[in-house]
Amino acid sequence: MDDAVPLTVDLRAEYESSGVREILDELDRELIGLAPVKERVRETAALLLVDRARRQLGLAHETPTLHMSFTGNPGTGKTTVALKMAGLLHRLGYVRKGHLVSVTRDDLVGQYIGHTAPKTKEVLKKAMGGVLFIDEAYYLYKPDNERDYGQEAIEILLQVMENNRDDLVVIMAGYADRMDRFFSANPGFRSRIAHHIEFPDYSDEELGRISGAMLGAQGYGFDEAGRVAMEEYIRLRRLQPHFANARSIRNALDRARLRQANRLFSAAAVVDAKTLSTLTEADIRASRVFSGGLDIDGSRRKDVP
Amino acid sequence: MNEMSKSQITDAKKRYAAGVLKYAQMGYWDGDYQPKDTDILALFRITPQEGVDPIEAAAAVAGESSTATWTVVWTDRLTACDQYRAKAYKVEPVPGTPGQYFCYVAYDLILFEEGSIANVTASIIGNVFSFKPLKAARLEDMRFPVAYLKTFAGPPTGIVVERERLDKFGRPLLGATTKPKLGLSGKNYGRVVYEGLKGGLDFMKDDENINSQPFMHWRDRFLYCMEAVNKATAVTGEVKGHYLNVTAGTMEEMYRRAEFAKELGSVIIMVDLIIGWTATQSISNWARQNDMILHMHRAGHGTYTRQKNHGISFRVIAKWLRMAGVDHLHCGTAVGKLEGDPMTVQGYYNVCREMHNPVDLPRGIFFEQDWANLKRVLPVASGGIHAGQMHQLIDLFGDDVVLQFGGGTIGHPMGIQAGATANRVALEVMVQARNEGVDIANEGLEVLRKAAKWCKPLEAALDTWGNITFNYTPTDTSDFVPTASVS
Amino acid sequence: MRITQGCFSFLPDLTDEQIRDQIEYILSREWAVGIEWTFEPHPRNTYWEMWGHPMFDLKDAKGVMMELADCRKAHGDAYIRINAFDSSRGWETVMMSFIVNRPAQEPSFRTWRQEVDGRAMRYTHEMVGGMPG
Repeated sequence: MDDAVPLTVDLRAEYESSGVREILDELDRELIGLAPVKERVRETAALLLVDRARRQLGLAHETPTLHMSFTGNPGTGKTTVALKMAGLLHRLGYVRKGHLVSVTRDDLVGQYIGHTAPKTKEVLKKAMGGVLFIDEAYYLYKPDNERDYGQEAIEILLQVMENNRDDLVVIMAGYADRMDRFFSANPGFRSRIAHHIEFPDYSDEELGRISGAMLGAQGYGFDEAGRVAMEEYIRLRRLQPHFANARSIRNALDRARLRQANRLFSAAAVVDAKTLSTLTEADIRASRVFSGGLDIDGSRRKDVP
Repeated sequence: MNEMSKSQITDAKKRYAAGVLKYAQMGYWDGDYQPKDTDILALFRITPQEGVDPIEAAAAVAGESSTATWTVVWTDRLTACDQYRAKAYKVEPVPGTPGQYFCYVAYDLILFEEGSIANVTASIIGNVFSFKPLKAARLEDMRFPVAYLKTFAGPPTGIVVERERLDKFGRPLLGATTKPKLGLSGKNYGRVVYEGLKGGLDFMKDDENINSQPFMHWRDRFLYCMEAVNKATAVTGEVKGHYLNVTAGTMEEMYRRAEFAKELGSVIIMVDLIIGWTATQSISNWARQNDMILHMHRAGHGTYTRQKNHGISFRVIAKWLRMAGVDHLHCGTAVGKLEGDPMTVQGYYNVCREMHNPVDLPRGIFFEQDWANLKRVLPVASGGIHAGQMHQLIDLFGDDVVLQFGGGTIGHPMGIQAGATANRVALEVMVQARNEGVDIANEGLEVLRKAAKWCKPLEAALDTWGNITFNYTPTDTSDFVPTASVS
Repeated sequence: MRITQGCFSFLPDLTDEQIRDQIEYILSREWAVGIEWTFEPHPRNTYWEMWGHPMFDLKDAKGVMMELADCRKAHGDAYIRINAFDSSRGWETVMMSFIVNRPAQEPSFRTWRQEVDGRAMRYTHEMVGGMPG
């Protein structure tokens, strides 16, 4: 076998052959908006590609630190991008299997003494070879309770993030401000996380396009008045509490389809395919958001302080 | 034959007038018949005599294997005879074989006694095979409805429980038949068993014709073999066994021998196929009651399974034996000294081991078969195989098989123990390589040669037999694809 | 004496890399992986001690190798084996089992024979040595 170090690496060819390009294209195609995020992902990919080339030429030897934090409000695409990131890391050979294990505090922290370590280890074993995505990671840390079992999970996580860099990548996600506080209280994490990606809120225009895409994927569409109503809904909804970007849109559309079905059924007329797949103004404007009421959209799971 | 003579006569007066009618006219051919889920189906390969219409021949097979006789009988009219008549429902020429036809026959479930292979065979093969209008006939395949399978208990142990009882997983089991087949005294015989087991085999085996001859009384053999089995267990820490052949002249004597095997703590007994279906079902019941693995040696099957134009395909025998209830069944090696085209042999293995057989014409499986949770039979590959073929055997048959190297163990130049060790090392190294992703079908020999560098017995085995192959054209192949053969 | 239970006892002891390859094979078949240990490798000692529950849904061998390392740390002088378990209908059993750790000094077995009627024999195997303490 020829183990000789090559003299050059063709980065463009590596970009194509590794499949990185494919993933970045997917990211562009499948996610509306998120321009700064896409830019950061592209930068990260470039960095990893170069790092790989450096190692091929014998210029670097260590596996770089790849743990990341994704900060932003709910519904801004963190989990989706984490999935793509796992694919990216896998294509570049930084993780062996490339699966994503998504957890929250409840999956890691136990209820009684001796419960936490096995739970955390169980999750880590499943994440080996892939990416561990910890949503709202700051819930692991409860400074007001000295005996909180979250601390035990944190210690195990830190150890594995340091010792098993070849085996898994950890992505911690949550609101930006709370993540900041979490990292300043736990400098161990701060020093082990090399890549920070911020997820901005979607603009009204982007959410409008997202709503169209979501409906399209289900074989529905707006008529013109419906689309205008949806745009207005987005503007109003953003001002209300518990706004969760794309997640709020999805919930709003689920309810609108319910209303559409009810409207068609009550009319008891003969309907054609177009009628069955069109959401109208009536289906949107019946929302309490328009009358100043609160839309309960299920996005508040853990958002309540 | 004109169209009239192919269709059933429905006018009762004409149909039941005394005299001779065509079988088709009597109602044993129905080209429109849709087999019911509860029907037993059979596929015959028939060679009609010159001038005999294939449809009439097929109707005759259906007739003679169900209610018909050569002439019309008025007593038919005392029965619901329309339903009792088997129906030939499809006849097609055998591809590439002029003069032969595949004929499909459906039998209503009521025609068979529950839980009796003897009754199935009496009907299906009882009469038609010597029928004059046919030059030859062969039973190619059968389909049994779940309702009928549920009247059989099937294998007493099954692959899963056998492995748990023996504590052996994830690899084929290894065996060897004690040689010479005849002439050894009990004490000398037990020596061979001990050497083989200590060297690394899981099982040793009596051959089909070792019963209780003047040179070795059966009881003597059992005692010495169990001494060997226990001693080998102690020096290896592994569960070991010897198939004690309980085949005897009467059922009473077989039970006596089986009881003694149990008393001595044997995990397994064996019988030969020539004891017959009734005896097989009886000893199977005994084995189930006594937690005993039952090994079936298919002695004699070649007299009726080998020729393609006449007899019974082994896949049918395998189906009957799974129903009758045996745990091990010799199914051929494809690469050894005995008859067997690799695809056809894989078909037998699938009949033994799968819970559901899809139609698989290249492997000779003509009917879909749901096994209704009847346990799996562990196939045995035995006859002229050696360590140098390990990669082919594992590639063809997978893990759930007993590989028996008789000559390949006892004939080893360094002795029986070394022969057994060579086989065990070849087996383990090949399973390891396969699991690691090595393409053993193509690179297996390389794997063996590498292991031979640290394993002298394996090196000697490869030196002695490495070039031995048995490349003869198989006689029994599926007629649907070009014959595949082992390189 | 070398006890030859398991899939690979006739081969030189597997290296960690070889063990990992076998575990990757197990995971590729979607079988669960269990680690068991004992000081008493009697052929009829079915139930070795479980080192935790069998591991389900792993994607990579590393998780098993971590547990194996811990088990070796705790019971370095015991027999340790890896078992693969298939839960699919009709199998629901161990599909593979191989030894990955042995004591420096392996025990042996002594055969006790008791002659009974008609020259029949009762056999019992007793383990000699091997138990710590």
